[in-house]
Amino acid sequence: MPRSLRSTATRVVSAALVAATALTLSGCGGSSSGSSSNGVTTISFWDNNGGPTRTPYYQELIKRFEAANPSIKVDYLGLPADSVQQKYDTAIAGGGTPDIGGVQQSYVAGLIARNALEPIDDVADSATLKGNIDPKVLDTIRSTASDKKLYMLPVSVNLDILWYRSDEFAAKKLTPPNTWDDFFTAAQALTDPAANTFGFSIRGGAGGTQALLSIMYAYSGVQTSFDSSGKSTINDPKNVEAIEKIAALYGKETSKADVTNGYKEMSAEFDGGTAAMMVHNLGSYADHQKNLGAGKFAAEAMPAAPDGTRTLVANAPDGFAVFQASQHKAEAKKFLEFMLSKDSNSYWNQNVGQLPSNLQAQKDAWVQANPALKVGQTTLAASTTHIVDVPRYLPQYGSIVESQMGPKWQQVLLGKLSAKDFADQWADLTTKAQADWVAKHPG
Amino acid sequence: MTLTAPVPAPVRPAPTRRPRRRGWSPYLLIAPTVVLIAAFLLYPIGSVFYYSLQNYNVTQPYDDGFAGLANFRHMFTADPLFWQSLRTTVIWVVAQVVLQLLLGLLLALIVNERFKARGFVRALVFSPWAVSGVLATGIWVLLYNPTTGAAHALSLMGIGSGDTAVLSQPTSAFIAVIVAELWRGVPFFAILILADLQSVPADLYEAANTDGAGRWQRFRYVTLPHLRGAIVLTCLLRAVWEFNNVDLIYTMTGGGPANETTTLPLYVARQALTDFNFGYGSALTVVSFLILLVFSVVFLRVTKYNAGRD
Amino acid sequence: MTSLPLTRSGVQAQRSAGGRVPVRANPWPGRLSRVARLYGPLALYGLFTLIPFYWMLVFAFRPAGSDRPVPWPLSFANFDTVWNGVGFSTFFLNSVLVAVSVMIATTFVAVAAGYALARFRFRGKGVFVLVLLCTQFVPGAMLLIPLFVIFKQIALINNLGSLIVIDTVFQIPLAAMLMSTFIRGIPFELEEAAMLDGCSRLQAFRATILPLMQPALVAVGSFAFIGAWNNFLFALMFISRQDRFTIPVGLSYTLGQYNIDFGALAAGGVVAAVPVVAVFAVVQRYLVQGLSAGAVKG
Repeated sequence: MPRSLRSTATRVVSAALVAATALTLSGCGGSSSGSSSNGVTTISFWDNNGGPTRTPYYQELIKRFEAANPSIKVDYLGLPADSVQQKYDTAIAGGGTPDIGGVQQSYVAGLIARNALEPIDDVADSATLKGNIDPKVLDTIRSTASDKKLYMLPVSVNLDILWYRSDEFAAKKLTPPNTWDDFFTAAQALTDPAANTFGFSIRGGAGGTQALLSIMYAYSGVQTSFDSSGKSTINDPKNVEAIEKIAALYGKETSKADVTNGYKEMSAEFDGGTAAMMVHNLGSYADHQKNLGAGKFAAEAMPAAPDGTRTLVANAPDGFAVFQASQHKAEAKKFLEFMLSKDSNSYWNQNVGQLPSNLQAQKDAWVQANPALKVGQTTLAASTTHIVDVPRYLPQYGSIVESQMGPKWQQVLLGKLSAKDFADQWADLTTKAQADWVAKHPG
Repeated sequence: MTLTAPVPAPVRPAPTRRPRRRGWSPYLLIAPTVVLIAAFLLYPIGSVFYYSLQNYNVTQPYDDGFAGLANFRHMFTADPLFWQSLRTTVIWVVAQVVLQLLLGLLLALIVNERFKARGFVRALVFSPWAVSGVLATGIWVLLYNPTTGAAHALSLMGIGSGDTAVLSQPTSAFIAVIVAELWRGVPFFAILILADLQSVPADLYEAANTDGAGRWQRFRYVTLPHLRGAIVLTCLLRAVWEFNNVDLIYTMTGGGPANETTTLPLYVARQALTDFNFGYGSALTVVSFLILLVFSVVFLRVTKYNAGRD
Repeated sequence: MTSLPLTRSGVQAQRSAGGRVPVRANPWPGRLSRVARLYGPLALYGLFTLIPFYWMLVFAFRPAGSDRPVPWPLSFANFDTVWNGVGFSTFFLNSVLVAVSVMIATTFVAVAAGYALARFRFRGKGVFVLVLLCTQFVPGAMLLIPLFVIFKQIALINNLGSLIVIDTVFQIPLAAMLMSTFIRGIPFELEEAAMLDGCSRLQAFRATILPLMQPALVAVGSFAFIGAWNNFLFALMFISRQDRFTIPVGLSYTLGQYNIDFGALAAGGVVAAVPVVAVFAVVQRYLVQGLSAGAVKG
């Protein structure tokens, strides 16, 4: 038996070595920044949330683009959403960025700070796109860069909304909440610990503080991130009140598990019937549709502040950026323009269940027929809606919100820290970071 | 660091000491290893030391530059999370190594016995080791989640309340992650111990039997001394590995709730992944490195595990 | 028959003096003792091992939307998603190529280094052991950028060669140290006897040590294989071509930002784990053929 093991091993060894050598010698370590040969330019495109629910639609659009532009070939690379920032960091530092890549506004500031991105105002001003991309979203994106240029263009428009289980609301004869009082009443009415059903799902884990921001500004109606003296409004008394009220739901009108909820746990509670309401953006539509089917869930705008205004914290839109190191910027911009054109944008968003960023695409029948997206669209367009831009341009923003305040938010939920102290610390860090930024970016 | 100093072999019934041929042979044999490490790890590890002395935050390039020992000063004097995460790491490593050793040893002894379908059973109990980090975390998250997990299934059958959230309380979350890591880690010990069990000279058992030794005595005086070398080394390697192991904790608790399960390498990962502060992250890594270095030297001394013994 | 020199003289004396003595009477009747000692703990541990796997199978095989604790009715939709939709068919081949190459390269290099550590005294040995350990002290995530730069210089970015090299480098230290422990467990006398018979050191090694090292080779080789098979970070960072990714990257596709497909994750997990478990089931029997079988025949 030793002999047979050894000879098998020998065969496997030689096969693998031959294969490995062939691979190395064939020189297939092509540069990721694209290449040109016999008149065809290849550009690389990274998808920041690759997977079976998105990849096929990108591939279809690429096919259409290549058919219309025979001289350009697009190389698709799907990246797992959790690791995409690390991939960009490594690629920027090591020199291997793509020509064009999917990005989220939440980490765009970091990419801009490293001069990794190319301004693409000209694409937004191109004949086909000018005036057709939602200007409110473009303003939010411009605020990311100190030079107020556009470094990304949105593929979808997003906003936080209140998702609720319409079946459970109907069973309890409740109407969807329009004010925060309605919301707290409904949360209580829908809770039945014995049956393991709760009115609300708090996001206490990853992304929890960002969701909390959305809730507290909607509750307080405070309309700016900083007051006129440059002080953060996070510890405004009305915001503190909102934090207290939400934290008071924990363990009573919510599951005790919520303290560590990330998106997937929160969504699983909602889809599984444990929680009747959750605050999240339109992005989860496809998930609910798949797990629950139509008729069991619906969306409502975030409840209004007492004076009737709806204050929304600007959601970090998902979109595309062209990279500074690209050798084929013209081709990359052409592809970008194609992706945001009415037809492509409509096709893409319809299949992934998002609200198109192209205003022409937003008029398409499928958007109008989708109640959740319609709520989003109406809310954004309403004159009573006000958008608060959060300072995502601050280099420390992610660190403050996620790594520093995230664990503290859990302490608040577990009753180990008061809402007031929590908000004061958060405001303090934000105010300092803002002062530092202003000092470094005069004018 | 004079590990080469001859230390008397205390355990294994050692063969008589004899001179070994000197010359180039050992250097030729270790040459491939040395070349690979020098080519691919010297510069990367060196750069961690370099950046520990720098201000290096990729989102704040204008502040980059030499920082001297500022990162270390901040760590030791102004960062309570450093001390807290170090304490959590120590508990994590001790719990993992001790439990993995005990369970792994038991498991190896059991599957070394003769019984029906032994091959199948072995493949089965060892298989968690083959499961990737991405998958292992995925499975355990599913299992612990109150809506997709075992507690939910039990509550559907009328057992328990269903609102059992093991990951939401610091203590239960920590225990839950330890159990999940044991699932993957015990087979590592078991496989190595089982492999080493095969080289216990049969004569020794025969002799022990002749002596009238019982099962426990055979284990105590024949098996255990033989395994000692492998156990000592495995414990060391495992301690180092578990010290730096973050994937399960990162995905299952994210270091929470409220940082109660944050270990040092997880803190480092957060510096690199969400704060982009590679300077401070490197400084934390350097301190981990030195802690592990001191630990290894002391461990090798105390256990008298000596690479030069023969 | 080569008899092993035993240092415990009492044992030696006993052994040469007499034949076998039956195992001492056990206080428990045979079967009950076997249950308490063997089957009981084994069943408990088996359960601990199986429950998570069972959960994975439930999620992999049951149709979307079901929350039954049994995978019934059976559905293969998740497997179709990962094999065809996610691209596991390509990733699978890449993973096999990388893992097999790493296993072979690691084993060769580690046997050499392990033998040197076990059988030679040489200047710098203590330092060498420490260097091996030091390579394990730094998490891979902190080394990504310099490694990327190195691989770019030698044109191995986007090449599976980079994964083979770096996975091998990370597996060698562990493998070499384990090898040395195993080799040290094999009495030098065997080798010496062969050398006295006129074999060269290499011949003696091949004739005596290698056959006895099967369990060690299998254990160390499978560790290297599994380490490479499961590596996610390096595969994602050093490869930027869809057709060169490996299985762990494919698995992570099922964990989207807004769409975590537990069914696909579990199905991908089955695809990733089954071959490894199957190979393991075959090679595990070599774990038990070693000294116990071979030494006596010398």
